[in-house]
Amino acid sequence: MTLRMHSLRALAFGAAALALAGCSTTSLEPPVPDVTNAPAAGFANMQPGSEEDFILNVGRRTYFAEGSAALDSVAKTTIDNQIAWLKKYPRWFVKLQGFADDPGGDAAMNELSRKRAEAVMNYMIAGGIDANRLWAKGYGKERVVRDCTDAACRVQNRRVISNLREEKDGAA
Amino acid sequence: MEFTRRDLLAGGAALAAGTVLGGPAVAAAKKSWFAGTAVDNNVTWKRTNFDAIDPAWRRQIVKYYSPEPAGTVVVDTMHHFLYLIVENQTAVRYGVGVGKEGFKWYGRANVARKALWPRWTPPPEMHERKPGLPQYIEGGAPDNPLGPRALYLYRDGADTGYRFHGTLEPWSIGTDASSGCIRMFNEDVIDLYQRCPIGTAVQVLPHIADNAPKKG
Repeated sequence: MTLRMHSLRALAFGAAALALAGCSTTSLEPPVPDVTNAPAAGFANMQPGSEEDFILNVGRRTYFAEGSAALDSVAKTTIDNQIAWLKKYPRWFVKLQGFADDPGGDAAMNELSRKRAEAVMNYMIAGGIDANRLWAKGYGKERVVRDCTDAACRVQNRRVISNLREEKDGAA
Repeated sequence: MEFTRRDLLAGGAALAAGTVLGGPAVAAAKKSWFAGTAVDNNVTWKRTNFDAIDPAWRRQIVKYYSPEPAGTVVVDTMHHFLYLIVENQTAVRYGVGVGKEGFKWYGRANVARKALWPRWTPPPEMHERKPGLPQYIEGGAPDNPLGPRALYLYRDGADTGYRFHGTLEPWSIGTDASSGCIRMFNEDVIDLYQRCPIGTAVQVLPHIADNAPKKG
């Protein structure tokens, strides 16, 4: 009973928030409450081969050791999973976005992040993904996930994101 | 998943053909907690039959509102969820099983070590509870309760004794069962291992039932 009251309240709250935001919808589906544990946008009715499928069942991130652009066994496993998925769903292109948060200046970070993105790209090509579906770019210390000098922050930033795209574009 | 469907279809076809595979056999197949096998790092293991699992405990991407930054793992033992916060106020949510002992503390830790098919060494208190346990069980052995992966939680450089690991008992996910730390479906602990670099921050939420002291 308490539970039902709670979900009713959550629904009412969601509807009120929607009205306040000035959103209008022609859909008859009830709005997803904007609360923790509600399905994230696009994930409530996830389809195989979608970007959501890739994010949930494969994972977009490859991580690197400090100062390194080498792929360790964990990184290779992640990319192997990505390769298998990309072979199954050949309509997708992938932009490989490299990042760095390591000891060194901006120029060194740009270089390291580009090398990381290229390492992932080359491993994908070696694994049988058409090079025309891939491109790589380094972003240096931009777009940090966590901004602090603790190891817990920096390890999150030493990454390559395999970003699915519907067409090949040169833009960032 | 495909394997399961084919199994059921085959069962249905057999039933229609009036072979020895009767109704009870098909019903039993439906209820199985396992669905075929997979090979991981040269170890053959039984895959979870997620058709038999409450959807609440399956891995999913949910909204997650928290002041914690992306990359943090949040353990909510009370509700049997483990969250890996990603971007845009979302998280990968996994169902977990919690040892009856629960967490004896709450607060912060980090993933300091990770292992593939770890050897299991029962802690002394477990030998007390279950006399006759072996000193250790080799990694990859069919009766090793840690399953395919373990992520070891440290605080201030010291092992807390707590781990995220797999399970031999998929039915225990979503419950406070037996002993151990935070158990996950084997598919999920393999997934988490890939997503958490060494150094990953972990926040254990207070478990009201525990009356646990705050540390770290």
